[in-house]
Amino acid sequence: MKMAAAPVRLVAGRGLWLSPLLLAAAIMAGTAIGETRLPFLTVLQTLANHLWGAGYPVDGIEAGIIWSYRLPRAIIAACSGAGLALTGVVLQALLRNPLADPYLMGLSAGASTGAVLVTVAGVGGGAISMSLGALTGALLAFGCVVALAHAVNGAAGGGRATQAAAAIILAGIAGSQMFNALTAFTIARSANAEQARGIMFWLMGNLSGVRWEDVWACAGVSLAGVALCLWYRRGLDAFTFGADGAASLGINVQALRGSLITATAIMVGVLVSKVGAIGFVGLVVPHAMRFLVGTRHDRLVPASALAGAVFLVAADVISRILVPGQVLPIGVVTALVGAPAFALILVRGGARR
Amino acid sequence: MKIDVQALSARVHRTPLLTDVSLHIESGELFGLVGPNGSGKSTLMRCLAGLRRPILGRVIADDTDLGQMPARLRACRIAFVEQQADTTDRLTVREAVELGRTPYLSPLRRWGADDQAAVENALSSVEMDAFADRLWHTLSGGERQRVHIARALAQAPDLLLLDEPTNHLDIRHQLSLMALVRDLPLTRVIALHDLNQAMTCDRVGVLHKGRLIAAGPPANVLHEDLLARVFGVAAKSATAPDGAPRLHFSHAL
Ligand SMILES: Nc1ncnc2c1ncn2[C@@H]1O[C@H](COP(=O)(O)OP(=O)(O)O)[C@@H](O)[C@H]1O
Ligand SMILES: [Mg+2]
Repeated sequence: MKMAAAPVRLVAGRGLWLSPLLLAAAIMAGTAIGETRLPFLTVLQTLANHLWGAGYPVDGIEAGIIWSYRLPRAIIAACSGAGLALTGVVLQALLRNPLADPYLMGLSAGASTGAVLVTVAGVGGGAISMSLGALTGALLAFGCVVALAHAVNGAAGGGRATQAAAAIILAGIAGSQMFNALTAFTIARSANAEQARGIMFWLMGNLSGVRWEDVWACAGVSLAGVALCLWYRRGLDAFTFGADGAASLGINVQALRGSLITATAIMVGVLVSKVGAIGFVGLVVPHAMRFLVGTRHDRLVPASALAGAVFLVAADVISRILVPGQVLPIGVVTALVGAPAFALILVRGGARR
Repeated sequence: MKIDVQALSARVHRTPLLTDVSLHIESGELFGLVGPNGSGKSTLMRCLAGLRRPILGRVIADDTDLGQMPARLRACRIAFVEQQADTTDRLTVREAVELGRTPYLSPLRRWGADDQAAVENALSSVEMDAFADRLWHTLSGGERQRVHIARALAQAPDLLLLDEPTNHLDIRHQLSLMALVRDLPLTRVIALHDLNQAMTCDRVGVLHKGRLIAAGPPANVLHEDLLARVFGVAAKSATAPDGAPRLHFSHAL
């Protein structure tokens, strides 16, 4: 297994230039496959019609399904997968904790609370959309977690940057529990059975009902995220031997950690507000990619973003076709695939020590 | 690089870790730092590396206050091998050494020939060329320590700080690591537990409860009286068969 790692890395590293093609193919497949399967040719013709008015004769209903329903859905799935995986990469690198993932920072718990308060408890009186509520909740929870981590550090006497990483993870767990309890409380107090079911659905990730307006926000934040992580790739590498190691390599640890974690939190906040809380992508994809392309962030960042995107597009397709006549929450699919995959990574990781 | 530590104090909350440490280290010198566990060696090393801000006093490196030096510039001149620095990442020896070039690179400045040369030189000066493609987790403790030193050398520093680099190494690795460090042509500060290894430094400083209580040539500083007072051991200095002074420890006091 040790022997096999090097050639796999080499191939995966060389293949990186293929990634835009792979991603485009995944989005095409995500658009073509569904309850009614549409031919690839129709998909391409519809795209050509919309993008440069090619004027192919395409059935109006099929064109509508492709352009207004499936394509934005596939693109948003791709953006969300890329963004979540990227956040996992950043948090695992900066906090030096293999279990760090977007939801550890309280983001999903906060988003859920915000969404539930708006939809169930009627906060904002209809003036606030569920997305805005979720975004506000996510960032609020993240703020609480960071403030708590600071307080813990202050009480412990500042000390080493390594301790700060442990503090933020503990703070994340406390904050998540707190906001999850708030969500459960609100649902128990105010929701009827119908609402509760809808909320459950949303909490497990829901891509139905996304529109082109949502595409721009999601694509914007995830592309910005990729660019930012690539820009700071060497800073992320420098954390290999811990925060003190990074500091002695000339990295301004607090500034880099603060800005990258905040940026990824905003990114995940926007994504979660559109698609709900999709688990396991941020945790599993970075680990899997480290096996394939190694730990250097110049390769890990694009590879994880791509793999996360493809994985979530595939998971969305599966969630739509697995049970005929019913769409499963996408989080169910990612967890069903992600949990065993993660177990495998743990076992293989354990075997090599 | 010459180092001037001026009336340095460091503390956590109200607990003093270092009190009024003043010290001068000459350019090109091998300076040993000794003291019992918890005496503040690592704290002083971290202050010298610019990782910890002293509450009072300053560290002057070649006429520049360390506190005023930008982190990146500092990393081009000072390299630090921590007491414990490990990783669970699957990276190769070469990748670990390449990290040493971080302060010289920027998002837009690509990896260049001089970076490559610095990495190759660093690898060969610790005799780890043959290990370049090995994965980190397959290395022994001594090999890891050598890679850390290679990473530090790839930084092309004027000052190398080593915090107890010989810990957990077998005797052969300890001796070869000390020989390696002794031959490096730059200013070195090394925290040590083994007092006989400290005897081979140009000068040593003794830390006791956060104070620097002595500094000077090892034969003058590490005398029986001080060893009894600071380390709580009965020791005799003798001349070894090779003619060098050696400490012999008989019992704890
Ligand atoms: N962040 C911290 N909080 C509390 N005590 C600390 C902290 N860092 C170091 N110390 C204490 O400071 C003393 C000096 O530590 P250190 O410099 O690591 O000693 P040495 O390296 O000589 O063994 C020890 O008693 C240690 O417990
Ligand atoms: Mg120490």
